Amino acid sequence: MNQTRRQFIRNVSLAGGALTLGFQLTGCSDKPLQLGNATDFRPNAFLRIDSDGIVTLQIPKAEMGQGVVTGMVTLVAEELEVDPATIRYEMAPAHSAFADPEMRLQITGGSASIRVYYELLRQVGAAARETLVAAAMLKTGLAREALHASDGSVFSTDGQIRLSYAELVPAARTLPVPADLALKPAAEFRLIGRYEQRVDAQSKSDGTAQFGIDVAPEGCLTAVLLRCPWFDGTVESFDAKEALAMPGVVAVFATEHGVAVVAEGYWIARQASAKVDVRFSQPAPGLRDSAAIASAMTAALDGDDFASVRDDSGPNAEAGELIQARYEVPFLAHAPMEPLNATCRLTPGGCEVWVGTQAPDVAQDTASRVLGVPREAVVIHNQFLGGGFGRRAAADNVAEVVAIARELERPVKLVWSREDDIRHDWYRPAMAGQIQARVGPDGAISHWRHRIVGPSINQQVIPVLAGAMLPQWVPGGARRLAGSAVARKDFASVEGAKELPYLFDGISVQYRNLPVPVPLGYWRSVGHSHTAFVVESFVDELAHAAGTCPLAFRRRYLPPDAPERRVLDAVAKAANWGNTAPGRFQGLAVHASFHSVVAEVVEVSLVDGKPRLEHVYCAVDCGQVINPDIVRDQMIGGIVFALSAALYGEITLKNGAVEQGNYHDYPVLRQNEVPPMTVVLVDSDAPPTGVGEPGTPPAAPALANALFAATGVRQRRLPLQLS
Amino acid sequence: MITFTLNGGDIRLDTDPQTPLLWVLRDTLRLTGTKFGCGMGLCGACTVHLDGTAVRSCALPLAAVAGKAITTIEGLGGSHPLQQAWVAHNVPQCGYCQSGQIMSAAALLAVNPAPDEDSIREAMAGNLCRCGTYHKVQQAILSVAAVAHWEPTGESDS
Repeated sequence: MNQTRRQFIRNVSLAGGALTLGFQLTGCSDKPLQLGNATDFRPNAFLRIDSDGIVTLQIPKAEMGQGVVTGMVTLVAEELEVDPATIRYEMAPAHSAFADPEMRLQITGGSASIRVYYELLRQVGAAARETLVAAAMLKTGLAREALHASDGSVFSTDGQIRLSYAELVPAARTLPVPADLALKPAAEFRLIGRYEQRVDAQSKSDGTAQFGIDVAPEGCLTAVLLRCPWFDGTVESFDAKEALAMPGVVAVFATEHGVAVVAEGYWIARQASAKVDVRFSQPAPGLRDSAAIASAMTAALDGDDFASVRDDSGPNAEAGELIQARYEVPFLAHAPMEPLNATCRLTPGGCEVWVGTQAPDVAQDTASRVLGVPREAVVIHNQFLGGGFGRRAAADNVAEVVAIARELERPVKLVWSREDDIRHDWYRPAMAGQIQARVGPDGAISHWRHRIVGPSINQQVIPVLAGAMLPQWVPGGARRLAGSAVARKDFASVEGAKELPYLFDGISVQYRNLPVPVPLGYWRSVGHSHTAFVVESFVDELAHAAGTCPLAFRRRYLPPDAPERRVLDAVAKAANWGNTAPGRFQGLAVHASFHSVVAEVVEVSLVDGKPRLEHVYCAVDCGQVINPDIVRDQMIGGIVFALSAALYGEITLKNGAVEQGNYHDYPVLRQNEVPPMTVVLVDSDAPPTGVGEPGTPPAAPALANALFAATGVRQRRLPLQLS
Repeated sequence: MITFTLNGGDIRLDTDPQTPLLWVLRDTLRLTGTKFGCGMGLCGACTVHLDGTAVRSCALPLAAVAGKAITTIEGLGGSHPLQQAWVAHNVPQCGYCQSGQIMSAAALLAVNPAPDEDSIREAMAGNLCRCGTYHKVQQAILSVAAVAHWEPTGESDS
């Protein structure tokens, strides 16, 4: 275990151990956690076991469908020796004890949750187990070797004594909690890699799972916001006479985010909002149309002022045929099924916020800034997220609801319409890329030069995240500077291109930040969502230019120990690559992201000359698998998400406003459009790596490469055309 | 005053008859299992049964349910064969669309107790899932379709 993790466990142990004493020893300014009852056994901040033996786990990450609750419950249950189905779970409050040990923020992203908590949560379970066993030693007078924990009890080895955890809780509460315990070797896993149930499946099948939009504190009102169609407009004036006369309408007022219409229920608020006449300030001049942004990116590709993010020298002589191509991808919306929402109730000196968020501490920081109160005065109640995909890492909905609640006597829930969601997202940026390379007479590739142009996500996002990360007194200017500092070589713009795995003779990767007045954010797989499309499409172009099979081409240029090889072989075998049935055409792509490697083969046919999706094959190496069924589902879900974008996804701007508004003009794949899929989990004894995002990047290039195989036409712009 | 049956019980409401059923369920009656997704009948998250037929409650005015029987996800009881299949197959990811998926599936099986994959794909095409649980939805429905004889919106006898 590395030093950071060890220190982290010590901290969480202290945080929890301190609770029973009423101290707070994390060294942070957070208030002590107040979770559970005084009679509970609380070995650390994550876990408590009450006097009935009920185990409750604080989930430090957001459950947005990726299965993090099930994964975390499984890790704890493995070492605690209980049935995962018996563990209750709660979404952790915003608190430094639950900050991601690498990111130092309580944020869910980067497909990191299981990777960073793999050891920690097993330690949490092991520490609790050993304390309970120590309690049993006190009670029985037996030595450690004569006792073992199993199925929620401690047994004597001779089988004569069984003490349930409930019976051991009172004694365990008084004992020191050990740290840094030896964990079970993989060969002894009873749950990890074997347990295949989702622990949240029942509540999500009977309508009882509570999402942010389902919350309604006593007396809660509903608000909708009339937002300016363009991103930088503010309310100049409004007339709400007619709206205010409608029964059930409580208030109409301007906020910095738009005109709030508050009523007794969503429908009344929505109806009333249609009667409000608003004038917004005119948009500032600048890049306000998709066409203008595309032209600016094309011009930038031809220009200078690129920042080098990788420069491996190659031969001086530029021999061989020059191949070059330009690629483009559009802005994309996240469009999670649950429209954004948040509920706020003012408290003396602060507020409570109910919201499904990927970043409770960002939500807390945001709310505290709006109210002008210390962070500790804001309580965040995190809920199930009806989809996240990166969208719910932003806290714009929280800023809005607090600004509305501030003006009201009663709690209020802000509910976005689908149109609000599509038109006021933090978008995956449009990007442009150009790659050139030389193909020598023997097919040898040299002089790979990849130029990427597009707006930096982190220039916008880092200042927001820094708000929650830095002390509250750090001024906004300093936070914006932090954003600008990373923008020039933004890793979120070049990730997946910079790490090109192929051994070409000379590789350079360059980036030019082209700021646009459009809100930007992390979209499932972030930079990989576009770099994989460009790189793996162009690799396919080179393979064809070199007259080589795309699989053999990749194998020729991958290092001997490249992890890509195993997934390529696995997917090729599953897809019967090279022996495709007559009338079927396959395309291949492989991409590493979030410490995992995924290869995919998309198979298409031609029906009346039009390509049709027939099958998608996927092989993933994500280290130790915790829950095989969830990993397969994450791969398939990531592919469906990618294919929706590859076939349909495009947000366009006109006069600074988004032109799309709902699922009819921003379509996503439907049940009858999704082809069968096969997922192969490649065996690995390495620690677990990401699964929420890595399935997404290879799908678009694999599809584009399959379309080339079928039609001979190379498509270099997303969304792809099937006609 | 509008009266209708909801999950077997009588409801009398003095609500604006133009209010979509979705908001009557969610805001007035606090039955939040039925979800808001698009407000235009495009996504299926708000699917309920009107006299046994799947309808999009976000686009159905309260006036249209007068004298009719409405069943929501809560009315399936929690251990309906489809709900059991949903759990057994780990269908839900984020779970937000699943009430609508299950209600559409129940309505499908009521008219076609043994649908094949193609029938399922077509019948379920109105229910979006952003997490991409479509294959699991198919598998769960197929597993229930193999077990015949059960009431579409009430207690099961299977």
